[in-house]
Amino acid sequence: MNNLAIKMHEAWLTTLMAGFMSTNENKQKLFDFSDILFRHFCWIEREMVESKEAYNYDRDAIPIKVEKLSVILYNIIERLNQIDLQLTVVSDDLSYRIAQDIKYITGVLPTLKDEDITAFNSERTLDNIELTQEATDALTLFLFEESYKEYELIMIYNYLKAQSDDAYINRIFQILVDESFFHLKSFGDMMAKMGILGVPRSIYKEMYQIEDVTEFFLAGIDEELKAKEECRKLSEAVSANSPELAKFFDFINNQENYHIALMRDALAHWENKKNV
Amino acid sequence: MTVDAQLIEHMMEPKNYGTLEDANSQGIGKNPNNGEKVIIYLKVIEDEGEDVIEDIAFQAIGCSTTIVAGSMITQEARGLSFIGAVNLIGATMKILEKVPPEDAACSEMVALALKASLETYIQRKTDKDYPIVTNKISNDCVVKDEETTNE
Repeated sequence: MNNLAIKMHEAWLTTLMAGFMSTNENKQKLFDFSDILFRHFCWIEREMVESKEAYNYDRDAIPIKVEKLSVILYNIIERLNQIDLQLTVVSDDLSYRIAQDIKYITGVLPTLKDEDITAFNSERTLDNIELTQEATDALTLFLFEESYKEYELIMIYNYLKAQSDDAYINRIFQILVDESFFHLKSFGDMMAKMGILGVPRSIYKEMYQIEDVTEFFLAGIDEELKAKEECRKLSEAVSANSPELAKFFDFINNQENYHIALMRDALAHWENKKNV
Repeated sequence: MTVDAQLIEHMMEPKNYGTLEDANSQGIGKNPNNGEKVIIYLKVIEDEGEDVIEDIAFQAIGCSTTIVAGSMITQEARGLSFIGAVNLIGATMKILEKVPPEDAACSEMVALALKASLETYIQRKTDKDYPIVTNKISNDCVVKDEETTNE
């Protein structure tokens, strides 16, 4: 089942990247499909947890550099067709659900209007905003670092949620997954517009198979504080040339406050539970 | 960090990131202060009496700079003999002497992982169960005494 989960993980990310590449009405459709594939991934994971099958979040590198959207769409279809052949390893209900979704998605993808892709042209301009070289460089580094961080957080919180039966803490993990998805989509879209789209690198098992949950929360709070500082610096760097972009990074910065509050809440709950 | 086309290329598509199924050596470079680490996987072949890096891959827990350094150094190392790889490590460490320690740490971790992977291979010639060598960097980027672990 782990192999099926890996293939679904790769199909989800490929579809998400295709969503970033698109600049028209295809985008929302591709994001919706990628969300569905992520849910499939979570459901397969749940069955692995229930059957006590050992698993990990390993995956292969995902090549995405294309000049036409249709090329990546056919790659997704190929990936989904391969997944379809492996569905016998999951329960009948889940297998039926995934198979029907694949049938629909692989039917829709070839009908999407083709697009020329500019997400890899490295031009590093954003929505006609004139940024200084220094601000452009700072934004470039921020997007690479933070898009990976958001992907990492999605995977870590998702893994912890899958391993936990604690409803209180799982509610918090789910909020944090949803929030990281929003940030990842925002950053990925910006990267595509700037022509610097890249797939976040895969994560090590030591990062999500956490031994010390208390330490993880404390480090996570520290990371969020650092992310806030990065957003603040970036907002400052771009404010002279683009108040709009500065406002966006202030908005992201302010969202991190609630993440910190949630993580402190989760930490307090965890510590209480440990002491009972 | 100066952002140029080469750097962007390595960030968008890091070269040699991942594992090697047929690796016959591994080495780890580690920052003991923050848990960051780099693992290098090698496939070494013997060519005219010399050990040669036929294939190489790396994985990292670290920042973008570590990934870029891993991508660049592994590209350089592919196809090199062990003597060539030692020279590459030496040249890298020399360049890093001129870089502020906090900026040098990431690249140093990659260079030390490569060094560790060569050492693991050499040790396993006489002891096939020799543990994977780990080299640690310190805060000021001075290499501490080497040690071996069973990671």
